[in-house]
Amino acid sequence: MTTAPAIPLSGSADAQLAAMATLTGSQEIAALSGATLLGERAALNDFVVPGRVSAGGGCRLLDTRDGHVALSLARPEDRALLPALFGDATTSPNDDEELALRLSREYAAEIVKRGRELGLAIANLDEQPVGPACRMSDDGPAATPSPRQPLVIDLSALWAGPLAAHLLGLAGAEVVKIESSNRQDTMRQGDPALFARLNQHKANVAIDLREQDQRDALIALIRRADIVIEAARPRALLQLGIDANQLVREVPGLVWVTITGHGIAGDAVNWTGFGDDCSVAGGLSAALLAASGTVGFAGDACADPLTGIYAARRALEQRKRGTGARLVVSMSGVVAQALAAERERDEVALAKSLQNWADARGRPFPEVELRPAGRVAELGQDNATWLEACWSC
Amino acid sequence: MKPGSKLKSAVCDTEVMVIRCGEGTIECGGAPMGDAKPETPDTLSPDHSGGTLMGKRYVDANGTFELLCVKPGKGSLAVSGVALSIKDAKPLPASD
Repeated sequence: MTTAPAIPLSGSADAQLAAMATLTGSQEIAALSGATLLGERAALNDFVVPGRVSAGGGCRLLDTRDGHVALSLARPEDRALLPALFGDATTSPNDDEELALRLSREYAAEIVKRGRELGLAIANLDEQPVGPACRMSDDGPAATPSPRQPLVIDLSALWAGPLAAHLLGLAGAEVVKIESSNRQDTMRQGDPALFARLNQHKANVAIDLREQDQRDALIALIRRADIVIEAARPRALLQLGIDANQLVREVPGLVWVTITGHGIAGDAVNWTGFGDDCSVAGGLSAALLAASGTVGFAGDACADPLTGIYAARRALEQRKRGTGARLVVSMSGVVAQALAAERERDEVALAKSLQNWADARGRPFPEVELRPAGRVAELGQDNATWLEACWSC
Repeated sequence: MKPGSKLKSAVCDTEVMVIRCGEGTIECGGAPMGDAKPETPDTLSPDHSGGTLMGKRYVDANGTFELLCVKPGKGSLAVSGVALSIKDAKPLPASD
């Protein structure tokens, strides 16, 4: 069976990688391709080109009275929210036929609003992202020039944030991945092959965020960093006593990257988003529908790798500028921007790539050159190095 | 009371969405919550003034009630006088 045509938007990822290679002179970044980074999870897991169920299986496109919504039910507790979503205690959380029937009676915009309020990752095929790919507040003081290797503190989990930190590592930074010892990065167990590729060569520090002294140690470590990558909701960090804006104002040159589903303006600050639903919110499934007449997902959670690449580029550019800043990156905004760039470059070719993708439904993803997986640190392996060094500084 | 209903505190800014519920009175700051805020707010009971946190989910001991805070306030949540506690954050998916 022949494999699928190129993953849509992989050309846009190539352009971002090329810009990053030029900016940093990194041979390792130059050697990467968008096709590999957008397709490696699918290749590692033998995914097939998705239709209405995402390649990874966690998200599905469903009909409403007036359009389509993408609903992720990937977390163990998401289904327990379905009775509240439909306002009916008799909803059977695990009956997918019933779910489809109930959704078909709702209006897309209303159910998406309600779902987001409940904390579900849900998107409307016809929506426009509420914010841009990146919003910057450049209120940090200038960096103090230093000959040492830049230090990246990676507080993120899953795909986009860890990929961004990994790319910064390839560009020459030292990367320390921080995990909460009671809420680890679930990808370590869930998808070890992808975890290894995204987190290879990072040091690993495990912290119990419920303990004040360990939170203090984390903040002390952050104060030594050049770049922080995190994907927490701002309120969660603030509730832990970590104030990103204040740290950016106080620590010279600190570049703080917040990866979000939909930005932090207004209500969106509380919305959840994962790779597939954010791709839909960014307009990718609408473009696929326009080009092919079919409803489906394009690529595999491509908002994740696209955002990882874009966030790394923005962080490196900001570092080159030499002043601290907080960069709030929106996954749906990144997809919309990549789509707009491809449309601008060659609208006909974009439509053709989406049409080809839709025609390949059910076939294996394109083969990609798999990257080797290097050393992966055990959870908390480097606590002594990074936390003790901190207590003495 | 059905899941998905929104309730407002009679004593502070707190608003919750009901995820799950059973028999009992949902209270905030020591006073029953309702569909609308009263014209004149009730007084916040000092025994129920721990406050609510945005986005946190609150549960009773046997898991009958679960409330999602959609607007924070000064009162704390209870069912028929028994305080609710914060539920741990949702585990992330194995991969997204």
